[in-house]
Amino acid sequence: MHKSITSIIVYLRKPHYSASLAFFRIAFGLMLLFSMLRFWSKGWITELYVNPAFHFKYFGFGWIQSWGDYTPLLFFICGLSALLFALGLFYRVAAVLLFLSFTYIELLDATNYLNHYYFVSLVLFLMIFLPANANLALDNRLKPSTARRFVPRWTTGSIRLMLGIIYFYAGLAKLNADWMLDAMPLRLWLPAKNDLPLIGNLFNHTATAYAFSWFGAIYDLSIPFLLLYSRSRAWAYAAVVIFHLMTAVLFPIGMFPYVMIVSALIFFDTAAMDRWFRKLPSGILPVCNNGLDYRFTPNAKKYIGAVFLLFFTLQLLFPFRFLMYPGNLFWTEQGYRFSWRVMLMEKMGYAQFVVKDAVSGEQTGVNNNLFLTRNQEKMMSTQPDFILQYARFLARHYQERGMQKPEVYAQVYVSMNGRRSRLFIDSTIDLSVQEDNFCNKAWILPFEAMKK
Amino acid sequence: MISNKERRCSLLLIPKLYIMNRNVRKILLGIISLSLLFAYTFVASCDKKSKGGEADGKALDRKALFVNYTANYILPGYQALKTDIIALQEAAAGFTAAPDAAKLSILRDSWYVAYLSWQKVDMLEFGPAEKQSLRSFLNIYPVTTSKVEQNVSVGNYNLETFNNYDAQGFPALDYLLNGLGSDDASVIAYYTTHANAQARISYLNNVIAKMLEKVSAVHTEWQSYQTDFINATGTDVEGSLSKMVNAFVLYYERFLRSGKIGYPVGAMTAQPLPTHCESYYSPGNGKAMAVTALQSVIAFYEGKSFDGGQSGKGMKTYLAAIATKDDDGTLMSEVISTELNAALTALNGVNGTLRDGVVNNRAAILGVYDLLQKAVASLKVDMVSAFGISITYVDNDGD
Repeated sequence: MHKSITSIIVYLRKPHYSASLAFFRIAFGLMLLFSMLRFWSKGWITELYVNPAFHFKYFGFGWIQSWGDYTPLLFFICGLSALLFALGLFYRVAAVLLFLSFTYIELLDATNYLNHYYFVSLVLFLMIFLPANANLALDNRLKPSTARRFVPRWTTGSIRLMLGIIYFYAGLAKLNADWMLDAMPLRLWLPAKNDLPLIGNLFNHTATAYAFSWFGAIYDLSIPFLLLYSRSRAWAYAAVVIFHLMTAVLFPIGMFPYVMIVSALIFFDTAAMDRWFRKLPSGILPVCNNGLDYRFTPNAKKYIGAVFLLFFTLQLLFPFRFLMYPGNLFWTEQGYRFSWRVMLMEKMGYAQFVVKDAVSGEQTGVNNNLFLTRNQEKMMSTQPDFILQYARFLARHYQERGMQKPEVYAQVYVSMNGRRSRLFIDSTIDLSVQEDNFCNKAWILPFEAMKK
Repeated sequence: MISNKERRCSLLLIPKLYIMNRNVRKILLGIISLSLLFAYTFVASCDKKSKGGEADGKALDRKALFVNYTANYILPGYQALKTDIIALQEAAAGFTAAPDAAKLSILRDSWYVAYLSWQKVDMLEFGPAEKQSLRSFLNIYPVTTSKVEQNVSVGNYNLETFNNYDAQGFPALDYLLNGLGSDDASVIAYYTTHANAQARISYLNNVIAKMLEKVSAVHTEWQSYQTDFINATGTDVEGSLSKMVNAFVLYYERFLRSGKIGYPVGAMTAQPLPTHCESYYSPGNGKAMAVTALQSVIAFYEGKSFDGGQSGKGMKTYLAAIATKDDDGTLMSEVISTELNAALTALNGVNGTLRDGVVNNRAAILGVYDLLQKAVASLKVDMVSAFGISITYVDNDGD
C-alpha cells in the first residue's frame, strides 16, 4: 500500500476521547424521541400515514406496506428505541431497531420526503457500527467492561464527514443562476415575512434576498471547514446557531434547524468534551474514567472499513447522478432527491387528470382529493415520478370500477422560481402505459430557457 | 496531548491565512464589512427608485391591503346584500299577503336584484361567512324540488340541517317563483287555491328569513372580525392573506368556472347537464349571474371598491410589487387581469341563455370555459406561489 494511504489509515485509527460520540448519541436520540412525540401530538401519524387511501413509494420500495391502524405502534417502536439509544441501553439492538423503524416510516410515503429525514437515516445507519455506547451509557453500568474512554478517530470522524458532505453539497447546489443571480426563491419567500418585528422591513428589499442567497451559499460551502479548524470553531458554531435559528423563524421547516444545531456539536474537540463531562456531577449516565481504547476485532475492522468506504463513495457520487439526465434538474427533478438540495426552489403545480375508457369512450375528470391528501397532491403536482405513480393508480382504480381500458391523461401546470406556469408534461400521452424506472422520462416537456 | 494533535491535523486543512498580523487583520475585516454595508445600502436605495414612485415596502404592506378590502368591499358588500334581502323579504310579504301578478313580478325583481348582490360576495367564504356556511344556505344548486315539496307538504322541516341545503336559498326561490308553472296564473295558483298554499307561503317566507338570518349574522360578525382580519398579516395558513386568497381561488375554480360553466356544459365529461345551470327555472337570468360573478372576481382581484368607484390596494397591486413576469416580461399581475377580462368578453358574447347553450351552443360555452381555465393556473399556481402562501383547500369535484 502506498505510504501516504498507510499513514492516513494509521492516523484514522489513533484514539481520541469517546465523549463526543457518546454525547452525539444522547443528543441525537433525544431529538428523535422528541420528533416522534411531536409527530404524534400533532396528529400527523393519522393524517400522513393512516388516512391516505394511496401512498407514493420510492422506486424499488413498492413492497413497503402501510401498517394501517397499527402505524402508531411503529412510531412507538421508533420512539422507544430512540430513548434506549439515547440512554445507551442495549445500544446495538436499539440502534438497529431505530434505524429500521425510522427508515421504514420514511419509506411509507415518498411525498413526505425531507432531506433531514434522509440524513437521520444515514447517520443512524453509520451509528449501528460505531461504539457510541463506550461512554455515558447505561450499558456501562450493566457491563462495566464496555466502558472505554477512547475510540478510534474515524468513528467520530465519519459523522463529521457526513455532516461536512451535507453542508458542502447543499452549498454546491446553491451555485446556480436562479439562486445566485436572481436571488430566487428567497426573493419570493422573504417579502412574505415582512411583518416580522425589527427585521421584517428589510425583507421588502430585493437586496436582502441577494444578501441572504450569497451568504447562504458561502456559509454552506465553508462551514464544515470552519468547524474543523479549532481557531474558528467557536465562531463557526455561533454562525451555525444563528443561521439555523434564522431559517427556523423564516421557513416552516420543522425540526431541521435544531437537528443541525445539535449535530454540529460533533465538531467540538473531543478532549474538551471529555473534560466537560468529567466536571459534571455524576448523573444517571456514568462518565467513563478508565484509560482504555475501544478496539474493533480484526474481522469487524475489515468489514466495517469496507462498508464505510462504499457508503461514503456512494454519498460523494450519488448527488451527481443528475448529470446523466438531459434537461434542467429543477424542472424534471430527475436526480433531485437524496442530494442535499435544501429549500432551493419555489415550485408549485396544478394537476388535473382525465380518465378515458378507450373502449366505450366514456370519460371523467378526477377529483384528486378522493385519493390524495393536500400534501400528497401538492407534492405530486410538481414531481414527474409521482404524477406517473398516481396516474397508474387511477388506471387500476377505474378498471376495478368497470372501465374496460382506462387511459389517463394529465394537464399539469407548474411554476418554478417565479417563472410563469406552463404545461409540465405531455398532456396527449396516456400515462397509464408509461413505465417508472431510472431512464429519462421523455414525456416531461422541456424547460427551455424561460425568460423572467 | 490528543487535542494538540487534533489541532495540528485540522490546521493542515486550511491554508495558513492566520500568519497575518493581528492589526492588519482587523483593518481588513473593517474594510470588508464597511464595503458590504455600503454596497447593501446602495443597492437597497436603488431598488426603491427603480420601482418609480411608491417604495415597494408600502406596496407589500399586507395590512393596508386588508384595510382596503374590509372597508371598501367586504363590509359594503354584505351591507348591500342584507339590504336587498330585506327588500326581498318585504316583497315576499307583500306577495304572500295577497298574491297577484303585479306583486309576483315585484317579488321576482327583488329576488333577481338580491341574487346579483350575492354574486358579488360569494367569493368571500372565509372568516364569518365560512363559519356560518353562508353559501350552503344561499346558493346550493341544483335545487332538489322533491325536498322542497316534501317540506311544504309535511311541514315539519329544519332549514338548519345539512340535508336541507339543496332545498333553500336563491335556487329554491327560483323554483318557488319561476318553476311551479308556465305562466303567472298557474304559479299564483300554488299560493292561493292549491291544497298546501298556506304551507307554501310560509315555506317561501321561512327560506327568505333563513337567508336574512345568515347574512345578518355574517354582516354582524364582520364588525368584530375585521380587526383580527386586518392584523393577521402572517403568510402561514392562519394569516389573512392565505385565508382570503384560498377562498377566492377556490371560489373561482370550483364555484365560478366549474359550477356556473364547466359542470353544466360537461367540460370534463363531454356530457351536458343543463339542470345544473344556475337559475335554471328562469334561464334568462343565468348569464347575468355568471357575468356579475366574473366581474366581481375581477374587481376584487384588482382591489376595486364595491361600488366600482375607486381602485385601491389589492391582490393585483401586491402581485405587481412582487413583480413576477411572464415569458415576455409582462407583469403577471397584468396577465391575470387580461386573462380574466378575455373570459368575461367571451361570456358576454354568448348568444342566448346558458341553459340552452350548454346543449345547443356548446362550442361557444366550451370556449368560455377554456378561457376561465387558463386563469385557474395563473391564480392557483403563479399568484399563490408568488405570494409565498399555499393552497389549503381540498380540490374540486371532477367536473
